Amino acid sequence: MRIVRAHLDAIRAHALSGYPFEVCGVLIGRNGEPGRAARVERVVAVANREQEMPRVRYQIAPEDLIRITREARDLGGEIVGYYHSHPDHPARPSETDRRIAAEGLSDGVIHVVVGVSGGEASATAWVFRDETQGFLDEPLEVE
Amino acid sequence: MPIKVQIPAPLRPLTGGAQEVEVDAGDVAGLIEGLESRHKGLRERLCDTEGNLRSYVRIFVNDEDVRSLQDKATPLKPGDTVAIVPAIAGGVVGPLARRDTRG
Repeated sequence: MRIVRAHLDAIRAHALSGYPFEVCGVLIGRNGEPGRAARVERVVAVANREQEMPRVRYQIAPEDLIRITREARDLGGEIVGYYHSHPDHPARPSETDRRIAAEGLSDGVIHVVVGVSGGEASATAWVFRDETQGFLDEPLEVE
Repeated sequence: MPIKVQIPAPLRPLTGGAQEVEVDAGDVAGLIEGLESRHKGLRERLCDTEGNLRSYVRIFVNDEDVRSLQDKATPLKPGDTVAIVPAIAGGVVGPLARRDTRG
């Protein structure tokens, strides 16, 4: 995926400011033509709706997704992916992330995972292929 | 007037790339069958083997979640807008660990 530095910095800053809780958000942009990476043009932070264990779980409310989908469409874009943080855990998808992505509608969707540890935030990008292949490494092209 | 159904990106390979399709149906169950008849494979992505809506798939009718209405029996009328929305969730700890934590 392609993203400008300022948007990536905003994702990392959100993860740091939300620590020790997981934070989440939506990536708006355009899906690439075949062979071209998706481009993120806007980053929207949303509330983590997980009620019981927000330090180790996150949930984006469907109501928020409907609102953001509409706003994105009005601007000529669409949701290309999501981001969430892993406080004190690595910047890679967990087994829970994989299981829920497999149950839901995530084929071809980008997930940026931000690991937060020692006051530092590092981001990696992944694309969920399908239930069998799970998350595959997605090259992060910072513009 | 048919019902407009907004299709999320992961399901568009099944709709020939269409972001929105139109279906005639009297309720959500009929809508799912109508979708399946025109776009084979959609029903399996929306419902489990027992025919219930999958946990991480939400269907909204005019911005209301059918789970808070009458689920698959939720009536539809011409001109309604239906949105299929993924429930995005995850995290470093899963349900098994959650049960372990509670002992």
